Amino acid sequence: MRKKYLFIILLAILVTSCSLSESSQDGTKSVTLTLMGKKSDLDKSYMKSIFQQYEEKTGNKLDIISIEDAEFETEAAERFDKGNVPDIFMHFHNADLDRFDVDSNFYYLNDEKWTADLTDGAKAYCTDSSGRLLGLPFWENSVSGCYYNKTILNDLGLKPATTQTEFDVLCQALADTGYTPICWPANGCSWMIQFGMDPIFADNPELLEKLNKNEITYSDIPEMTNMVQWIANAAEKGWFGNNYPEYGWDEISPVMGQGQAVMTFIWDTWFYTDYSKENKYTIDDFALMPVFMNTAEKGTYEGGNLNMMMANKNSKNIDAVLDFLSFCASEENYNVAFDGISTVNCFKNQTTNIQSDMVTSSERSIKENERVSTASSRIIGYSADEVAEAINSLLHGKVNAEGCVKLMDEYRIAAAAKQGAEGF
Amino acid sequence: MLMKKLIEKLGLTLLICIICICAVSIGIFYINFISDRIYNDSTSHLREIYDQVNRSFGAYVEKNWGLLESWEDYISSDEGAESKIPYFISKEQDYWGFTEFYFMAPDGKCMTLSGNAETMELGVDIDNLMVKKQPIMTSETLSDGQEVTVFAVPSEHKEYNGFGYDAIAISYSNADMSSSLNVEAFSGKARCFVIHNDGSILLSTLTGGNVYENYIVYLDAASDLSDKAVEQIKKDMENGNSGLLQCNIGKVSYCILYQPVGYQDFFLLSAVPQSVLSAGFLSVQKTTSNVIIAISVLIGAAIIVLIIMRSNKLSRKSKTELQYRERMFDVLSNSVDDIFIMLDAQDQNVDYISPNVERLIGIPVEEARSNIKVLIKCAITNDIIIPKEELEAIPLQGSISREYEYMHQSTGERRWYRMTMYHMSIQDVKKYIFVMSDRTHDRQMNQKLQEALTAARSANEAKSNFLSNMSHDIRTPMNAIVGFSVLLEKDADKPEKVREYTRKITASSHHLLSLINDVLDMSKIESGRTSLNVEQFSLPELLEELGIILVPQAKAKKQKFRMLVQGAPPERLIGDKLRLNQILINLLSNAIKYTPDEGRIEFIVQEIPHSSGQYAKLRFAVKDNGIGMSSEFQKKVFAPFSREINSVTNKIQGTGLGMAITKNLVDLMGGIIQVESETGKGTVFTVELTFALPEKEEQAEQLSQKIKRMLIADDEEEICLDIKELMKDTGIEIYYETDGAAAVDTAVRSHNKGEDFDVILLDWKMPKMNGIETAKALRKQLGTGVPILVLTSYDWSDIEKEARLAGINAFMPKPFFVSTFRQAIEPLLSEQKSEPENTAPSDEKVMEGRLFLIAEDNEMNAEILTEVLAMEGVECELAANGQEAVNLFETSEPGHYDIILMDVQMPVMNGYEATRKIRSSSHPEAKTIPIVAMTANTFAEDVRNAMDAGMNGHLAKPIDMEAVKNMVVKLIGTSDKNNSKEGI
Repeated sequence: MRKKYLFIILLAILVTSCSLSESSQDGTKSVTLTLMGKKSDLDKSYMKSIFQQYEEKTGNKLDIISIEDAEFETEAAERFDKGNVPDIFMHFHNADLDRFDVDSNFYYLNDEKWTADLTDGAKAYCTDSSGRLLGLPFWENSVSGCYYNKTILNDLGLKPATTQTEFDVLCQALADTGYTPICWPANGCSWMIQFGMDPIFADNPELLEKLNKNEITYSDIPEMTNMVQWIANAAEKGWFGNNYPEYGWDEISPVMGQGQAVMTFIWDTWFYTDYSKENKYTIDDFALMPVFMNTAEKGTYEGGNLNMMMANKNSKNIDAVLDFLSFCASEENYNVAFDGISTVNCFKNQTTNIQSDMVTSSERSIKENERVSTASSRIIGYSADEVAEAINSLLHGKVNAEGCVKLMDEYRIAAAAKQGAEGF
Repeated sequence: MLMKKLIEKLGLTLLICIICICAVSIGIFYINFISDRIYNDSTSHLREIYDQVNRSFGAYVEKNWGLLESWEDYISSDEGAESKIPYFISKEQDYWGFTEFYFMAPDGKCMTLSGNAETMELGVDIDNLMVKKQPIMTSETLSDGQEVTVFAVPSEHKEYNGFGYDAIAISYSNADMSSSLNVEAFSGKARCFVIHNDGSILLSTLTGGNVYENYIVYLDAASDLSDKAVEQIKKDMENGNSGLLQCNIGKVSYCILYQPVGYQDFFLLSAVPQSVLSAGFLSVQKTTSNVIIAISVLIGAAIIVLIIMRSNKLSRKSKTELQYRERMFDVLSNSVDDIFIMLDAQDQNVDYISPNVERLIGIPVEEARSNIKVLIKCAITNDIIIPKEELEAIPLQGSISREYEYMHQSTGERRWYRMTMYHMSIQDVKKYIFVMSDRTHDRQMNQKLQEALTAARSANEAKSNFLSNMSHDIRTPMNAIVGFSVLLEKDADKPEKVREYTRKITASSHHLLSLINDVLDMSKIESGRTSLNVEQFSLPELLEELGIILVPQAKAKKQKFRMLVQGAPPERLIGDKLRLNQILINLLSNAIKYTPDEGRIEFIVQEIPHSSGQYAKLRFAVKDNGIGMSSEFQKKVFAPFSREINSVTNKIQGTGLGMAITKNLVDLMGGIIQVESETGKGTVFTVELTFALPEKEEQAEQLSQKIKRMLIADDEEEICLDIKELMKDTGIEIYYETDGAAAVDTAVRSHNKGEDFDVILLDWKMPKMNGIETAKALRKQLGTGVPILVLTSYDWSDIEKEARLAGINAFMPKPFFVSTFRQAIEPLLSEQKSEPENTAPSDEKVMEGRLFLIAEDNEMNAEILTEVLAMEGVECELAANGQEAVNLFETSEPGHYDIILMDVQMPVMNGYEATRKIRSSSHPEAKTIPIVAMTANTFAEDVRNAMDAGMNGHLAKPIDMEAVKNMVVKLIGTSDKNNSKEGI
C-alpha cells in the first residue's frame, strides 16, 4: 500500500516537472515571458506574426496579458503599483510613462546591437530627453507632413514649395485660382499645431528643458508667436477657406478628395485608413512636402508615433526578454511580420512593407527635415485639444496672437500643475 | 405749355439733377481719360524697362556664350594644356562667379574640372548643342537637387582626363540668375520669368524661390483671361511675338508683358501689379480723382444742403401754413355749428374731424377721430349708415346730402344736421369730406312757420266762418228788425200788433247789440288796447248781481242753478269787477245756453291758499251737465271765431268770440282758465284769479255784541258748514239742522231752556218742510221775538208776501256772506227798516220835467234820444258838437240844465274836451252840473277817460232808457225837480 502511494506521488511529480520545464528548440530550457499590452495593439497582424515566430523559433512562450483599450492605462498602472510588472510592456512614448516609473522598472536599450538598424526617426521617437532608448519600436510607422494634390498643382502650373517663402507664395497662388490652399479642420482636430511646434523644441532642446522646468513660457519663445501669427494670417488671407471652423476629422477626406482644398497636414497612413476610395482624386494624385508653419524655413516632417516594447529590468528572465527584443529587431523576422503592411520603415533594412510613393519620392526631403514628435510627447502639460482650443479662440477673433500664446501657456501650466510636475 | 408747367413743377430739382449728371459724366470721362493715359504711359514704361532687361539678359547670355567660346579656343589651343585648364578656369570662375565648369559628352554626361561626374537632361537642347552646334542655355536640376542654369557651347571633340567631350558648359545657381533679372524699378514686386515658349519656367525673379512650374498654365487657371486670350499668348510665343495684356489674378490686377529673348524659344515674361506699375501715375490719378471727388462731394453736398434747406424751408413754410390753416379751420369750425370730417376713401379712416364735434355732439374729438362709428351711435335716425357702395357711387367732385337727427351725448339735446358728403380727389388720392351743418334752427323755424301757416289758415278759415256766421247772425236780427218795422208801419193802428212787433224789434236789436259788443270787445283785445279798471268791490254783491242776471235765465230753461261759496273767501276784493263779471257771465250764460232744459248748473266759488296775506286767490268753477265738447274742440275752445258745429250749437246764437274774450280777459288779469268736458256729459270751466285785499274792517265784534247764538236750517249740510266757517270770526255760536222740523225742535228746545237763538236762518227750498212752513212753525212755538231770515238763491218777490205773513223778517240771497247777513240782520236788530234802494222804478217817470242838454252830432241819434226822453217827460236842448254844448252851457242861467248827456266823438270839439271846457268855465254850475258820457266806446278805459275828463257817468250806445233812468236818479234824484236840484 505504501509503495502504491509512493508510485502515484512520483508519477505526479514527473508529469508536473515535464510541463513546467519544457526545453527550448536549441535545447536550452524554455521560458515563458509575460507581455502586457492594449488589446487592439496586440491584435495587429504583424504583432501576432512576430509573437508566433518567436514561440515557434525559440520554443519560449509568451504569456500575453491583453487589456481592453478603455481600461488599459488604469489597469496597467494598478498592476504596476501592485508590483505585477510584466516582462515586456507595450506602450506609446507620446503618452504619460511616468506613472509606470520608467527609471525603476525598465531597461535602457541604447547598447543593444539592433539599435543600428533603427531608422533615425524611429530611434529618436523611443529615446527620452536624456537620450535613453526606452524600447524597441515595433509598429506601423508614418510620416506626417504636408500632403498635397499634385495633379491640381500641375494643372495650375505650380510646383511644391521647398521653403516657407515658397509655401506662402504657393498658398496665395492657389488662393488666387479659387482653390482653398490648406484644409484646416479646426473643429476637433488638434494635431496640426504640434507639427509646427516640433522644430522649435526638437531643434532647441534647451528651450524644451526650460519650458518643462517652468523657467520659461511659450510667450518667451518668439517662434511660438510667429507660428500663431502665421496661422492667423493664413486664415485671414483665406488660405483655410471659408468653412474651416466647421470642418473636423470627417471632412478632411471629402474636402481633399473632391479637390476643394489642395493641401493638408496629415500622415501617410491616413490615406490607407481614412481616405475614401470613392473620392475624385486617388492616393496617386497626392504627394508630400514639408509642413510650413513659419517655424522652419525649409519645413518639417513629424515622425510617426510608435508603439514600443520595453523590457522589465527587474525581470528574472531579463536575458530572455532582451533576446526577445533582439528576435523582433531581426531583419528576417520583422520582414516576415511586416510583409505587405503599409508603413514607413522603422528599420533600415525593412523591405517587405509597403511604403507609399508619397513618402518614397520625398525621402531626401524627409531625411533632411524630419523631426521626432516633440511637442506632444515631450512638453509637460501639453494637451493637443487645449492648444487647438487656444488656436480656435484666435481664429474666432477672441484673442490676438500674443493672447493665444498666453492662453496656451495657461492651459499647459495648469495641466502640468495638476500632474504635479516639478517646478509647476 | 405742358413743358413749362413741368419745368415749373420740377424747377430747381430738375436743374440740380441735370447739373449733377453733367458733373458726374465729365468726371467719369475725365477719370477714364486719365486712366487710359496712365495705362498707356505705364505700359510704355513697362515695355521700356523690360526691353532694357531683355537686352541686359541677352547681353548676359551672349557674354557667357562668348566666355565659353573664348575658353574653348584656349582649351583647344596649345596653350590649353590639361594641366593649365583648371587654373585657367578657376581664375575665370572667381571672376565671373559661375558655380561649375563642365566638359559635356554628346549624351549629356558631364565631368567637372575636379573629375566629378554629372548627368544633365538637356532635352531638345542636346540636339541643338551637339548636332546643330548651337550654343544653349537651359535649366537643370543636378543630382544633389540643386537647380542651376546651364550655358553650353559646342567644341571640338576632345578629351579631358580621359573624358571625351563635344561641348563645354558652365552653370549658375538659379538664385544668382534670378537676381540678374530682378527689376528694382518695381520695388521687387514684379514677377519676371525667363520661360520657354510653352510657358515652362527657366528662371524667375521670385525672392526665396519659385513655385510656378508653367506660368501660361497658371495664367489660364488663375487669371480672368479668356481662353481666347490665353490661346493668343501661346500663339504669340510660338511665333516669337511679344504681347502686352492686362488681367486679374485673385484680387490683384496685373500687367503681363512677354517678349522673346532672341535665343532659342526663350521669352522674357513679366507680371507687374498694376498698382505697382502705375504707382506714380496712380498717385497723380488718385490725387486728381480725390480732388475731383472732393470738389464733386463739396458741390454735391452744397447742392444737397441747398436742396434740403430749400426743402426744409418750403416744408416749414408749408407746415406752418398748414398749421395756420388747420388752426384757422379749427377756430372757424369752433365758431360755427358745422362739423367737418375728412375720410380716406380707401380705408375709411378719419383724416380730420373738426374739434367742435365735442361741443355739438358731445363726443371727444380723439374718440371720434379714432373711430368714426361713434358718430353713427349718436344718431337717432336709423338710416344713418351710408353703404360704401353709395359713397363710392358719388361722382368725383360731386356730393349727396342727407339730414339726420343727433343726440348730444352729454346734454341729451337733440339736433338736426344736414350731412353733405363730397367725393374729392387730390393727386389721385380720394377722400370723402362730410359737412354736418346744424339745421335745428331752420327746422324749428320751418316748424313754426308751418304751425303759423296752419294757424293763419285756421284763423283765416275761422274768420271766414265768422264772417259767414256774422253775416247770418247780423242779417237775422236785422231782417227781423226791418221786417217787423215794415209790419209796424202796416199795422200801426193795431196796438196789440204794434206792441208785439216793437217787442220783437227790441229783442232783435239787443241781440244785434250784443253781437256788435262782442266783436268790438274782441277787436279791442286783439289790438291790445284792453286794460283793467281796478277798484275795490264786493264779492257778495258781484255774486248777487250774477244771480240776478243768470238765475232768471236758468229758471226760464227750468235748470237747477246752484251757487256755492266754499270756505271763507274774503268779501272785499280789489280788481276789475266789470271784467270779472264779464268773465263769469260769459261762462255761466254759456253753461245755461248749452245745457238742455231742466239741466243742472253749479257755480262754485272757493278760496285757494295763497302765499301772501295781501292777496286772495279765488277759484270760480262753472259746472254743467250740458252737451259738452269734443276733445278736438276743447283744444281750440279759446280760439276766436271758433264754434263747435253740431246739431245743438247750430240752433244757438253765438259769435264764437265769447270764450276767446273770456280767455283773454283771464290772461289779462293774470289768471288761468281750464276746461274739462266730455261730449254729452257736461263741462267744467275753472278760473283761478288773484285779487289784492283791502284793509280789514272791524265789524265782526259789533255783530257778536248783538247776536250770540244762531240756528241754520238747510237741507244741504255743506251749506250749513260753509256758513259756520264764514261766521267763525264773528264769535257767534252757529247751530244747524238739515231739515225744517229738526230746526223747529232745536229752536223750541232752546227756547224752553230759556236760551233762545238770536237769529234763525232758513233755507227756502227744503224737502218736507220748506222755509215758509218752518217759519210758521217757529213763530207758532216761539212767537215773534226771534228774527227769522230766509236764505234763497231765487227771486223772492213772488213769495215775499206769503213769507212775511209766515213771520219771516227778511230775505238773504245765496250764497251766504257775512256782509249780506249783517246788512239783513242789522235793521231787524235795531228795529229799523232799511232805506229803499236808490234805483229807479221802471214804471215811474222819474225824469219828468227835467231839461237835458244833449250834445250829439248825429242828427238821427239826437232825434231818437230826444223822442225817447220826451216820452219820459224830459225836455232836451241839442248841441251839434262839443263847442256848441259848451257855448249853450256857458250862456245858460244857473239851474237851467239838469244834466248834460255828452257824446264823445263829435266834430269841432269832442265830448272830453267839451267837458273839460265846461268844468273849467266860469259858469256857477261848472263843477256841479252832471255830465254823462254817451258813447259807443264802452270799454273800461273809455269809462276811465270819461271820468278823467270830468264826467260823472257813462252810458253806452245805443241808449238803454232804463240805464238812463238809473243814471239820472243816481246823479240828480227823482222827478221832484226842485227837491232834486236842491239835493245836488
